[in-house]
Amino acid sequence: MLEITGLSVNYGTIRAVRGISLTVARGELVSLLGANGAGKSSTIKCIAGALKAAGGSIVLEGQDITAANPEQVIRAGLATVPETRDVFPDLTVAENLMLGAYIHRRDQAGNRQNLERLHTLFPRLAERSNQPAGTLSGGEQQMLVIARALMARPRVLLLDEPSLGLAPAIVERIFEMIETLKKSGLTILLVEQNVNQALAVADRAYVMRLGAIVASGTAEEIRSGSDLSAHYLGG
Amino acid sequence: MKHSYLTALILIAVIAAIAIGSQLIGIRLYDRIATNLLISLVLVVGLQTFMGNSGLLSFAHIGFMGLGAYTSAVLTIPAQMKGMALPDLYDFMKVVEISPLLAMLAAGVLAAVVAAVVAYPLMRLSDAASVITSFALLVVLYTVMNNWSAFTNGPRTLFGLPKTTDLPIAAIVAAVVVVVALLFKESRTGKLLRASREDEVAAAALGANIPHLRWRAFILAAFIAGIGGALWGHFITSFAPKAFYLKETFLIITMLVIGGANTVTGAVAGTILITFAYEGLRGTESALNATAIGAGQVVGLTEIVLALAMIAVMIVKPGGLFPNREIGHILTRARRKKETVA
Amino acid sequence: MAFAIQFVIDVLSLGGAYALMALGLVIIYGILRLVNFAYGELIMVAGYTMYLSSGSGLPWLVMAALAVAMAVLFGILTDYAAFRPVRAKSVTAVLITSFAFSNLLQNAALLFISPRPRNVPLPDIFSQTVSIGGAITPVRNLITIAASIVLLAAVAFLMRRTTLGIAMRAAATNFTMARMLGVPANLIISSAFALSGFLAGVVGILWIGRIGTVVPGVGLEPLLVAFIATVIGGMRSLPGAVVGGFLLALIDTTLNYTLSQDLLKFRDAFTFSLVILILLWRPQGLIKGPASGQRT
Repeated sequence: MLEITGLSVNYGTIRAVRGISLTVARGELVSLLGANGAGKSSTIKCIAGALKAAGGSIVLEGQDITAANPEQVIRAGLATVPETRDVFPDLTVAENLMLGAYIHRRDQAGNRQNLERLHTLFPRLAERSNQPAGTLSGGEQQMLVIARALMARPRVLLLDEPSLGLAPAIVERIFEMIETLKKSGLTILLVEQNVNQALAVADRAYVMRLGAIVASGTAEEIRSGSDLSAHYLGG
Repeated sequence: MKHSYLTALILIAVIAAIAIGSQLIGIRLYDRIATNLLISLVLVVGLQTFMGNSGLLSFAHIGFMGLGAYTSAVLTIPAQMKGMALPDLYDFMKVVEISPLLAMLAAGVLAAVVAAVVAYPLMRLSDAASVITSFALLVVLYTVMNNWSAFTNGPRTLFGLPKTTDLPIAAIVAAVVVVVALLFKESRTGKLLRASREDEVAAAALGANIPHLRWRAFILAAFIAGIGGALWGHFITSFAPKAFYLKETFLIITMLVIGGANTVTGAVAGTILITFAYEGLRGTESALNATAIGAGQVVGLTEIVLALAMIAVMIVKPGGLFPNREIGHILTRARRKKETVA
Repeated sequence: MAFAIQFVIDVLSLGGAYALMALGLVIIYGILRLVNFAYGELIMVAGYTMYLSSGSGLPWLVMAALAVAMAVLFGILTDYAAFRPVRAKSVTAVLITSFAFSNLLQNAALLFISPRPRNVPLPDIFSQTVSIGGAITPVRNLITIAASIVLLAAVAFLMRRTTLGIAMRAAATNFTMARMLGVPANLIISSAFALSGFLAGVVGILWIGRIGTVVPGVGLEPLLVAFIATVIGGMRSLPGAVVGGFLLALIDTTLNYTLSQDLLKFRDAFTFSLVILILLWRPQGLIKGPASGQRT
């Protein structure tokens, strides 16, 4: 479904991602783990088209999207939820969701249907439909960003640190929701620092350190791998 | 630090070469062009002290030049001529007549004082708002010059300034201004300002009071502009407020930006380059006007070409010809590289 | 009473024009964080289009529509000539290219048309006056008020109710995120320039209608007005631009009525001093813009 080969990302002379390769199969939930500064978010941004790749290729369902810009990537069927939780704060929740469906704006009926489905998944968003998104709590904003991404009806979803800075109870609910999404057949690449929870929902995982992939395997293999904490603690 | 001396030396040598060279050729026209060039140099380098260090574009610079020119005019026009040149001048000012050199200093000081007063609140503004207000400031200075007839003779031409600026004086002032600009760049204020340009938050965390630093640079720039204005006034001897407006602003910004606003070398190089281009284009324009097709109708061609050149430079080399390093720095690096190779 | 009516009409007609000018500038600034120095020249373009088409025998409204269309066209052209090539490089670079482009257009008008004022065709209604409650008012002031109300309402509708408008507002806070949702950057930017050109075109006709002639430098005053109004109102807020425009008109009109002839010449200087005072009090302008996002 999503195939990344030898991907490199540079910031000026700093090499943030150094030739990594990873694949995500259809319907799979793959976790990308690693400490701060490992290059996870750069990888995500590069796949989303927000950063230019310095080398390597990104292929989505046989279509090369390495050089695609963000608006082309989403049209190819890949939606991204960035870690910065970028709601449009001055727009209402409804307007945010409407923009999520920008690429399907001609299909009003489909959007309404999709919106109803999302409202049952995120009842809070239905309640706050006419409220500016900036007034939502952190957890609600996270849900809004995910729901907005789903309005684009993607086949692949990139989730960057959905649990960042949220209270444990809310993190719990976010992960429940990720599981629901997975069951619906959505292909997901999940970036997390919250290792245990990420591995609990993931089929497979990759561990990044200093811009390279240092371990990969099924969730169990990674969990039992004794060197996992070492990668986090920089040992 | 050593390469700063080298830069100063080279730039002063260039200024001297222009002054001496044109005197050796001995054509009056070249003398005029060379003097104009050196006066522009004073203004452009003055603008560089603010823009190059703070990273903010200022449109008000020419306004301060005008302020300087008029200050010096009021102070130096001979008392017996004042009745004619400035008929509305306040009585107590009518008897004032000081030496042009002193007046030039006064011109710089007045420009600096005005800048200090009006610019303080403006320096807090974010980049776009500060540029916009500097533009508004230029318009206001122009409005004042155009209407305060007592001091400026209104929109009419003011004449009667003693002609005291010649090529050597312009060269000396230009050399001093270049040294001042280099010193300021390497001073604590200059360094902190340049750091703030790269990263405002980090510089503020180091304890840099950025608006205050910008303010200092702005005052210095206005001081130099005031001096430059007086210098020009005593060269041209008669002028009107429209000499200190958008056309001239466009010209000095073109010079600085094409040369490279971040370096004094760039300011000097841009001034020389654009002066030659400008004179060449003006010559072409008058030649065209002399022909049957032109018939005296060709105006604005010079500005059109310069505008196109400026857009092209911004696209190809947004930092100008000398984007980061001064000439001395470039040369010492080149030599060091050669040594390591050998 | 007549005086009060006169005053209110003056403020509203001047304010309406100022608000439209400021709005056209802020629409670009809000999205790109870039100032368009060539904005005033769009007004000039509208004026010269009217002048050049005056001999054509077309009905006035067609000429006016043509003038607005040309302003829109040149607005989009500004993007391609001055913004797009350097947008990613630096803020200063764009300021300089747009300033250069403004000079280019002005001097082109100088070279190809004339440095002297040229008459612009105006329907008779522009020079008529009416009496409202004892106040004699030029009809064009009422036209200006009506046009600005209609346009401000139209812009508000566009920005609040249409997908394009909402996408533009989204792009103004976070351009990259908007693009990640599939909103095409170029569409948004071109729309912003087109809308800016449209406002400049309409305001250009109203503005030039006051003087009746067009010169290459005609765009300077509107540009300055837009600058000051946006700085007062808050650089990035559309309602701020409107408030700033009306406030500036209130200040200007009050000064017009209170200053003596001698001092009136310095009106701009007084206005600017007031702006400095406002900025001392509120450096961000009166109305804070949308939460900040990264420039793209």
